[in-house]
Amino acid sequence: MSEQNEKKTTHFGYQDVPVEEKVKRVADVFHSVAGKYDLMNDLMSGGIHRLWKRITIDQSGVRRGHKVLDIAGGTGDLTRKFARMVGSEGKVVLADINDSMLKVGRDKLLNSGVAGNVEYVQANAECLPFEDNTFDVITIAFGLRNVTDQNAAIASMLRVLKPGGKLMILEFSKTDNPALTKLYDFYSFNILPQMGKVIAGDADSYRYLAESIRKHPDQETLKGMMEQAGFVNCRYQNMTGGIVALHTGIKP
Amino acid sequence: MDPKLLDILVCPVSKAPLEWNKEKNELICRASGLAYPIRDDIPVMLESEARTLTSEERLKESQ
Repeated sequence: MSEQNEKKTTHFGYQDVPVEEKVKRVADVFHSVAGKYDLMNDLMSGGIHRLWKRITIDQSGVRRGHKVLDIAGGTGDLTRKFARMVGSEGKVVLADINDSMLKVGRDKLLNSGVAGNVEYVQANAECLPFEDNTFDVITIAFGLRNVTDQNAAIASMLRVLKPGGKLMILEFSKTDNPALTKLYDFYSFNILPQMGKVIAGDADSYRYLAESIRKHPDQETLKGMMEQAGFVNCRYQNMTGGIVALHTGIKP
Repeated sequence: MDPKLLDILVCPVSKAPLEWNKEKNELICRASGLAYPIRDDIPVMLESEARTLTSEERLKESQ
């Protein structure tokens, strides 16, 4: 086939870019927004992202002594809660591919007194640098969308989970209500980039955000990807009309 | 970096265990011949950021 010789491309928002360029472009987005990330999340979601994360934590089943991996953990919202739940015998690893985000996260956690049972690792979700069968729970919140090879990431997360361990993917998804979809699209493509421009000085990064959400696999597709990788008991729960979905699966 | 992290950390390429070279502040994988930097106390476990060990280093590391 002649396509074999063509350069492999993937999507960066609505643009097609070479596979290796997506990594760099996504990195640039997060280097750009790291300092304002928390503020923007609050403003953009009207604070609802806290509720989405709260529900994720409540359903995690994380207990004292557990090992938890928070991938693409960015500025550490989930890690902060997990660190308390696992106690001194447990461990939370906050991993992110982006060093700007990791450093903002570490500073924030240290400032709020989280230390001793949290480790920081710069890593790519597609090839995680951990032993097989290490973690009881893995979370990836608003991160999978930015990964170039999502199937590789899901397989890698399966590998490092303990048998019986749980993967939780919190991610933007597809709205099921036409009226909500219309409103949400207007907000995403008109208001959001303006907010990004005014507050973070960066409209392009927030335009990427809106576009990447639309390109992300919908609820059933992502569930199928998890099953394909070997997860069992895969299910999802829509939040806020499907703007966000929480997928969970268990390593057999 | 907490040395206990080495209990669970492996080379993302070979999945083999790592050795901490404190002098150079790198995590060394003999299997893949890669050295991962530790920057600001954070191990950078990305193949794209790793240094390839020289043949002398590989000999020395394997002794």
